[in-house]
Amino acid sequence: MAPPPAHPQRSPSPSQPSGKSEVTDLRSQLRQLAGSRAPGADDAKRDLFKKVISNMTIGIDVSSLFGEMVMCSATSDIVLKKMCYLYVGNYAKVNPDLALLTINFLQRDCKDDDPMIRGLALRSLCSLRVANLVEYLVGPLGSGLKDNNSYVRTVAVIGVVKLYHISASTCLDADFPATLKHLMLNDPDTQVVANCLSALQEIWTLESTSSEEAAKERETLVSKPVIYYLLNRIKEFSEWAQCLVLELVAKYIPSDNSEIFDIMNLLEDRLQHANGAVVLATSKVFLHLTLSMADVHQQVYERIKAPLLTQVSAGSPEQSYAVLSHLHLLVMRAPYIFSSDYKHFYCQYNEPSYVKKLKLEMLTAVANESNTYDIVTELCEYAANVDIPIARESIRAVGKIALQQYDVNAIVDRLLQFLEMEKDYVTCEALTNTKLESSSMQVLVKDLLRKYPQWSQDCIAVVGNISSKNVQEPKAKAALIWMLGEYSQDMPDAPYVLESLVENWDEEHSAEVRLHLLTAVMKCFFKRAPETQKALGAALAAGLADFHQDVHDRALFYYRLLQYKVSVAESVVNPPKQAVSVFADSQSSEIKDRIFDEFNSLSVIYQKPSYMFTDKEHRGTLEFSDELANLSINAEAGDSAVPAQRVEANDNDLLLSITEKEEGRDAASNGSAYSAPSYDGASATSAASQSLADLAFSSTSGSGQAPASSFAIDDLLGLDFSVGAAATPSPPPLSLNPKAVLDPGTFQQKWRQLPLSLSEDFSLSPQGVAALATSNALLRHMQSHSIHCIASGGQSPNFKFFFFAQKAESASIYLVELLINSSSAKSQIKIKADDQSTSQAFSTLFQSALSKFGTA
Amino acid sequence: MLQCIFLLSDSGEVMLEKQLTGHRVDRSICGWFWDQSISQGDSFKQLPVIASPTHYLFQVFREGITFLACTQVEMPPLMAIEFLCRVADVLNDYLGGLNEDLIKDNFIIVYELLDEMIDNGFPLTTELNILQEMIAPPNIVSKVLSVVTGTSSNVSDTLPGATSSCVPWRTADTKYAQNEVYVDLVEEMDATINRDGALMKCEVYGEVQVNSHITGLPDLTLSFTNPSILDQVRFHPCVRFRPWESHQILSFVPPDGQFKLMSYRVRKLKSTPIYVKPQLTSDGGTCRLNVMVGSRNDHGKTIDSVTVQFQLPSCILSADLTSNHGTVSILADKTCTWNIGRIPKDKAPSMSGTMVLETGLERLHVFPTFRVGFKMMGVALSGLQIDKLDLKTVPYRFYKGFRAVTRAGEFEVRS
Repeated sequence: MAPPPAHPQRSPSPSQPSGKSEVTDLRSQLRQLAGSRAPGADDAKRDLFKKVISNMTIGIDVSSLFGEMVMCSATSDIVLKKMCYLYVGNYAKVNPDLALLTINFLQRDCKDDDPMIRGLALRSLCSLRVANLVEYLVGPLGSGLKDNNSYVRTVAVIGVVKLYHISASTCLDADFPATLKHLMLNDPDTQVVANCLSALQEIWTLESTSSEEAAKERETLVSKPVIYYLLNRIKEFSEWAQCLVLELVAKYIPSDNSEIFDIMNLLEDRLQHANGAVVLATSKVFLHLTLSMADVHQQVYERIKAPLLTQVSAGSPEQSYAVLSHLHLLVMRAPYIFSSDYKHFYCQYNEPSYVKKLKLEMLTAVANESNTYDIVTELCEYAANVDIPIARESIRAVGKIALQQYDVNAIVDRLLQFLEMEKDYVTCEALTNTKLESSSMQVLVKDLLRKYPQWSQDCIAVVGNISSKNVQEPKAKAALIWMLGEYSQDMPDAPYVLESLVENWDEEHSAEVRLHLLTAVMKCFFKRAPETQKALGAALAAGLADFHQDVHDRALFYYRLLQYKVSVAESVVNPPKQAVSVFADSQSSEIKDRIFDEFNSLSVIYQKPSYMFTDKEHRGTLEFSDELANLSINAEAGDSAVPAQRVEANDNDLLLSITEKEEGRDAASNGSAYSAPSYDGASATSAASQSLADLAFSSTSGSGQAPASSFAIDDLLGLDFSVGAAATPSPPPLSLNPKAVLDPGTFQQKWRQLPLSLSEDFSLSPQGVAALATSNALLRHMQSHSIHCIASGGQSPNFKFFFFAQKAESASIYLVELLINSSSAKSQIKIKADDQSTSQAFSTLFQSALSKFGTA
Repeated sequence: MLQCIFLLSDSGEVMLEKQLTGHRVDRSICGWFWDQSISQGDSFKQLPVIASPTHYLFQVFREGITFLACTQVEMPPLMAIEFLCRVADVLNDYLGGLNEDLIKDNFIIVYELLDEMIDNGFPLTTELNILQEMIAPPNIVSKVLSVVTGTSSNVSDTLPGATSSCVPWRTADTKYAQNEVYVDLVEEMDATINRDGALMKCEVYGEVQVNSHITGLPDLTLSFTNPSILDQVRFHPCVRFRPWESHQILSFVPPDGQFKLMSYRVRKLKSTPIYVKPQLTSDGGTCRLNVMVGSRNDHGKTIDSVTVQFQLPSCILSADLTSNHGTVSILADKTCTWNIGRIPKDKAPSMSGTMVLETGLERLHVFPTFRVGFKMMGVALSGLQIDKLDLKTVPYRFYKGFRAVTRAGEFEVRS
C-alpha cells in the first residue's frame, strides 16, 4: 500500500509556534499590496518579500503564499524580481499548478530589454523543474541561445542542461545539443564556450548509455580539432573554465611526441596560476601525457614540484590538505623527488591537526640516507609537543623511518631517549601525556627489536627499568611483556616481574595482554627454568581457567606440549629468531596505480580508487574510459526503474570490492535515499523509501518478469509443505557441494558470460523478513544449505545478495542474484548456471532453503 | 559538480541554503555534519573533505562560519575547496567582514552573489571586480546614494562591460578624473627557531597588492631591481607569462580597483629582525620561565605591535608571570599572551616568573612553542625592491605610490 501523499503544507514544528500565524499575517499584507500602484509600494513589497525569504531560509514552510507572491511579482524593481525568482524556484516543485502562474511573467521577462533581466528570468524559468511546463521552456531557451548578449547565452546554455534533466526527449527533439556544439566552436565569449563544454559533456555522457551516436559525439570532444581549439583560447577562459578544459585535455591522447611537447609548452604558465585547482589540473595533464616517456615523466615531477609546494604553504589549511594528499600520492611513486625539500613538510604550531598528520606522513615518506637525521630531529621536537595525538603520531613516524633502514644508530638512540624520558616519569603518578606517548613508542621499540636484534642489549638496559605497573595501554603492555619474555636472559628481574603480572591475572582485562603473558612466561621458562617454574604453573592454571577462548586454547596447547616433550615445546615457543626485513605494505601497487589515474579527484584524498566508494551513476560526467560500465550486470532493467538501477549500480562495487565492502556500503547506499538521507536502518519505515520500494516492485513486474507472483507464492507454499512432510525419505533431486569455492573475480566473469537461465519472483515469510534484521543471518542460513554468499549489500528495505553453489561431484556452478524488499516481503531471484538443464531444480532447492529462513 | 551550498552559523544553524541542481539536497545533511563536528570536538579539527552516508561534503571554516558544499559526483576536491574559499573571500569583501549577523542582515545579497558565482554546480565567475559591477556592495556610499537619488536598488541595471570585453577582468570604459596606481608590498615572515637559538627556517611570503584607478585600458609594466631572489611566484590571471619568463618583468592590464597582482616566497633568509630567547628551568615541582625579547635593528626601522604568545602545558597548575615592559595576560584556556607593543630603545623587554607544576611532577616534560607577532612599516624584509612602474598605451599622466610592510607570519620559537 502506498503511503498517503505528503500533505503540501506541513504543520509547523513545535519549536516555531509563531510560524503559522506569521504566515497568515504575511499573506494578508501581500494581498493588500498585490494591486497597489501607490508610490512606495515597491519598498513595502521588498520588506515583505525579505521576510518571506528569511522565513524560507530558516526552514519555515511558506509555500502556501505562492499565489500571493506571484500576484505581487508584477514589478519593474530588479531586487524584487530576484527575490521572487528565488522564492518561485524553491517552491515550484511542490506547487506545479501554481507554478503555471509564474510562467507568464517569466516569459515576458525573457523578452525584456535589459539583458540582466532576460538572463535572470531565463535562469529562473529553467530552475522551476516542473515536468509539465517544459513546453514553455523550449521557445525562450532557443531565443536565449541566439541572444546577442553573452550573459544571456551563458545562462541559456546551462538552461539546456537543466531542461535535459527535466525531460531528455524534449531537449533532444529541439536539437539543442547540436546548437550547443555550434556555439562551443564559434562563440566569441569564452564563458559561453566553457558552459557549452560542460553541458555537452553532461548530456552526452548520460545519453551515451543508450545511444551510439551520443557516445560518438562524446568522443569527438576529445578529438584533436576540439582540443586544439580550446587550448588555443585557454588564457581567455575564467579560472574555473580552465579547470574544465584541462580535465578534458588530460583525456586526450596525442598522436606523437611533438604534440605532447607542444601542449606542455602551451600550458606551462598555467602552473604559475594563482588558483590551486588550475595548477593541480595542469599537473594532471602533464603527468598523464608523459606516462609513456619515462625520462620526461621524471622531469615533469621536477617541474610541478615547486608550484605544488607553493600551494601547500600559501593556501588556507583546507587547500593545503587537498594538495598534500596529492603530494603524498606523488611521493609514493617517486620518493626521491622531495628528498631535498623535506623542510616544506615541517609542521607549524597552529596548523590544524589534519594538515600536521599528512605532513608527518610526507616526512616519513621522503626520509632517505641524507636527510634522516634532520627529519628525526624535527620529529623529536614534536614529541614534546602540547598536542598529544600529534606527539604520538610523530613518535610513530620516527619508528617507521627506523624500519626503512636508514641510519638506525641515530634513531634507536632517539627512541631510547624517549624511553629514558619515561624513566623519570615512572615515579610519577597516573597517566600523563608523555606516558601515553611512550606507550605508543614501546610498540615501536618492539617492532624495531624484531628487526634489529643486535640492538637488543642497549634497549634492555632501558626497558628493564620500566616498571610494568606504570604502563597502562594494552598494546604497550603487551609489547613490554613480549620484551620481558624475549630478553629474559639479559634482564635479571624478568621472571619476578612476570610472576607479579601472573598473580594479577584476573585484573588484566585485555586478552591480548594475557596471551602475550602466557607466551612470555613460557619463553622465560626455557631460559631460566628454576626461577620461572612457579610462575609458569600459575600462568597455565590461570590460562586454563580463563573464560576467553583463545587464552584458554593457548594455555591448553602449551600444557599439552610440555606434557609431550619439553624440547619440542621449546622449539615451538623459542625458535631461532629471524630479523623482520620488511613489514608488509598496506596497499597494493595496482590500487596505487589506479588512484594515480584518478589524480585530482576525491580518490586521492580517500586513498582509494573511485569504484570503491562512489556509485557508478554518480561517477563524474568526465569518466570517459569507464571499464566498469562495461560490466553492466543487469542490462535488462528499464531506464524507468530508478531505484532498481541504483541498486544495480552498486553491484559492480560489491563484486569488485568485497574486501572493502564495509567502506563501500556507506557510499553504495547513497542510491536508496537521494533526497532523504537515511543515516541508519531506523528510517526503514520512512515514507520516502517506502514509496521508492513500491516503485521498484511495480517496475519489475511491469517489465513482464513477474507474471505469476501469486502463482509463485502458491508454489512456494506447496513446496514448503512437501519439504516439511517428507524431509528425510526422498533426497532432494539435486545435491550441492558443501565446500564449494569461487573467487570474486571468477564470479564476476561468469556472471557476465552466462545467459540468464531463470528469473522468479516470490514472497518471503514474515519470520524470514524479521530474521533479515540480524546481519549475516541469511548468509549463515544459506551456507548451511551449501549455498555460499559472495557479496551482499543494500540498505533497508532493499537488500541484495549474490550467492553461488556447486553441484556435488561436478564442476557445474550456479550463480544467484537475490533481491529482497523487506517492507513488502517480496523477493526476486535471478539464476545463471553452467548447466542450464538443472537450473529449475536448483531454483526449487534455493527457494525451499530460503523459505525455511527464520523459521528454524 | 557541487549540488548544494549551506552556510552554517557557529551554533550549527543553517543560515543559508543554495540548491544548485535538480537533485535537492535535504537539510538533514547539515544536522549530520553538525553532530559529526561536535563529536570531533572542535569544528576546526574536522577534515575539509568528509564522506557522509549520502554525500561528499567539503567544508571551509572562516570566522565562525562553516561553508559547506555537497556533491555525489567525483570531482576535483581542490576545486571545491578553492571555490568555497573564494566565496568566503568575496563575502568578506562585500560585507566588510564575516560574521553571523552580517550574513543574516544581508542574506539577499549573499543569494544574489551565489547566483552569479555558480550555476548548475559549476563555478562561473569569482572575480570581485566583475561581481561588484553586477551587484553593488551594501556599503555606506550606496546607502547614502540610495537616499539621495531615491532608487534603493543595490543591483546595477547595466550588465558589467567585462562580460563582453576581451579582457575578462576589466571593463573597457572606466573613467577617472585622477589617475593613480598604488603598489603595496605586503610580506609575512615565517621563521622557526629551535631551542638552541639556531634559525631552522626563515622565509618570507609576500604579495604585491595593487590598487589601480586608471581610465581606459592601460597596459602596465612593473619591474624589480632584484627579481632573482623570488621563488614560487604565482600571478593574477592578468599577468603575461612570456615577459616574466624572459626578462622578469610583470606586464599586465590591471583590473579596476584593488587586486593581488602576484605572490612570492623568498627562502633561506639569514636573520630575523627580532630575537626572542625563552629559558625554562624546572626542578622540585616548580618551573622558572624567563623570556627576553630584543631588536636586532639592522634595518633602522622601529618594530611595532610585538606580541609573544604561548600555550601553557596542561600539567601546569598556576603561573605567576611579570614583565618589565608591556602587559601579560593568561586566559582560561591557558593561553598566555605578552603584549609588548613597540620595543623601547633603552631597555630589552623581558618577562619572567614561576609556574607551579601538578603535584608529583618533578620536572616539565612538555615544552611550549612561543609564537611571536610583530609589524614593521616601510620595509620589505625579503629585500625585494621595486625598480619602476610604467604605463603604456594610454597617454595620461598618473600618480604612482609605493609602500611596504612586513608582519610576522608563522614565527615560532621552540623552548
